[in-house]
Amino acid sequence: MFESETIFIIDLLAIFAIYAIVNISLNMEFGYTGIPNFGKVLAVGAGAFVAASVPGRIFAEMAGIEGDYILDNLLIVSQINLWLVDNVGVGFAVFFLTLGIAAGVGAGVGILTSYPAIRLRGDYLAITLLAFGESIRIIGNNYTPLVGGTLGVQVPDPLSFLPNELRFPVATIGLVAIAIAVYVYSEKMVRSPLGRMLRAIRDNEVAAEALGKNATHTRIKIIMVSAALAAIGGALYAFYVGGTIAFAYDRASWTFWPFLMILIGGLANNKGVLAGTLIFVVIRKLIIFFKDSFEGFVPFDVVWLDFLLLGVILLVILLYRPQGIFTEKTTNVN
Amino acid sequence: MIYDPIFSDAIIFASLLALLSIGLTLTYITTRVPNFAHASFATIGVYIALIVTHVWGFSPYASIPISFVISGVTAVLLYTFILKPLIRKGASQAIQMIATLAFDLIVIAMLNITADYIVKTFQITSREFSLRSYDVEFMGLPLIVVLAPLTIAILAITLHIILRKTKFGIAMRASTENSDLAGTVGINVKLIYGVSWLMGGGFAGVAGALMSLWFVGDPNLGPQIMPSVFAASIVGGFFSIYGAIAGGILVGLTEVLGTRFLAGEFGAWLIAYRPLIPLIFIVVTLFLAPKGLAGINWSKLRRYVRV
Repeated sequence: MFESETIFIIDLLAIFAIYAIVNISLNMEFGYTGIPNFGKVLAVGAGAFVAASVPGRIFAEMAGIEGDYILDNLLIVSQINLWLVDNVGVGFAVFFLTLGIAAGVGAGVGILTSYPAIRLRGDYLAITLLAFGESIRIIGNNYTPLVGGTLGVQVPDPLSFLPNELRFPVATIGLVAIAIAVYVYSEKMVRSPLGRMLRAIRDNEVAAEALGKNATHTRIKIIMVSAALAAIGGALYAFYVGGTIAFAYDRASWTFWPFLMILIGGLANNKGVLAGTLIFVVIRKLIIFFKDSFEGFVPFDVVWLDFLLLGVILLVILLYRPQGIFTEKTTNVN
Repeated sequence: MIYDPIFSDAIIFASLLALLSIGLTLTYITTRVPNFAHASFATIGVYIALIVTHVWGFSPYASIPISFVISGVTAVLLYTFILKPLIRKGASQAIQMIATLAFDLIVIAMLNITADYIVKTFQITSREFSLRSYDVEFMGLPLIVVLAPLTIAILAITLHIILRKTKFGIAMRASTENSDLAGTVGINVKLIYGVSWLMGGGFAGVAGALMSLWFVGDPNLGPQIMPSVFAASIVGGFFSIYGAIAGGILVGLTEVLGTRFLAGEFGAWLIAYRPLIPLIFIVVTLFLAPKGLAGINWSKLRRYVRV
């Protein structure tokens, strides 16, 4: 029904939407408030882990499917997907419930991991979050009831009532809609008095505190909101790809790439974030697309050229165009 | 008494952590930016040891000076071509941290490319390898068990003498405490910082070369040990060489022996969670003594405890 180009674009849009959600949340923290969250992967992973462990068990309970959810995962999830064909409403209800739980768990993880260092200098917070970011994979790999350890688990598909060729386009439309909602929310927030306060805290914490703003409380609040959004992004990613495996939640994919994207587009500018995300996702897709033509010419795995290239791009941006494509708009004080 | 190899594990790991933590402290006190590529500088040392041993056919110990130079030069490159221009342009600390993360990614990519190249060209295992069998015996023990703590002891004494007694060391301390003032009395602060980065990266390289003699080497070793290195530095207080040594030994011994003890008490499944121990150290230190061991006023504490 669809040409391969259409599938390419649909997949690109879906990944763009998911990364846009994560990046907008990171921009709230880093761009507007100046919190160096080097543990972004934590919130994203928490959301994906919730999507991997919660809805499947709820569906299995409701449909009366017996068996160990982790050991017989493939079988149980395929039975659930069959059951979901006749229970579309329940499917959507549990889907949105999962997003809610993911947001809650994400916010909880965000506050727990940043609390020890939230009052200290920025580099301590960065180190703590980075170190915690490594832990999500360790827990996911070893605590099997969560995401099936190193084998991973399947995630039930609330869209399984659709015919196969419609499933991905519809999912993409849904993802883009949620991304737009997050974008609008973030735009409203940064233009509100709260948004001005965030920038005040980022630019001059002492002055903001002198005017009676509690910088620590505001930071905690923003970390919670941002982690909740990132966790929704992670859960959506798990639903979109139909599975979760712990080693996919590494520092490069969900901490480093988001930073690269918001720095390409421009810090503290949501339009810039969207532009940066689009540019990055397209470049990444093209690299993967043309990877095979390099294979065999170089005496190593081409995936490392990808890392090398993106690392160099980021350094070049930091050195020569740190403000990104779209610069932050200055607020009119009069 | 039968000697349990877990003690060798603990001694070597603690010594290497202390060595890495000293290097991290040396670079941190100059630019005040935590270098997230530091642990990967050690991985460079691991691969130099592999090449020296397998390709050139020398003893792994011959790789120590080469590792020092190459890792040190890599660190100087990071400082000179990335951090110094960023600082000159007034980039925030967060931006500098991101730059070190990007550099880390580049180093990891290069190490992976090297590993692939070694496999294809020389048909040598270049991932999950160990050079343990190339070690020599010393008084019934592998030499590394003696050499690792000895290196720390020699280094601590040498650094103490350099920093306290020589003109260079005094200039270095002056530059790190107040770089503007040091500049006005004629100290070449940039050069001092460069030397500091050379030593910091070099120590990481030496730690890596020694590490290959006991632990399993892999291109992605850096991200795996990074939480431990940063935990050691945070426990040590991040500004003090002696704190770094104490932190490295404390975190290293606890990681190895603590995991062993807990696994004995609660079951072997606990071993996989060993990487969470540095996180506990970070959290506890930040809550109880955010300035680390070096920041605690010991004499005051002693008085308080006695009363």
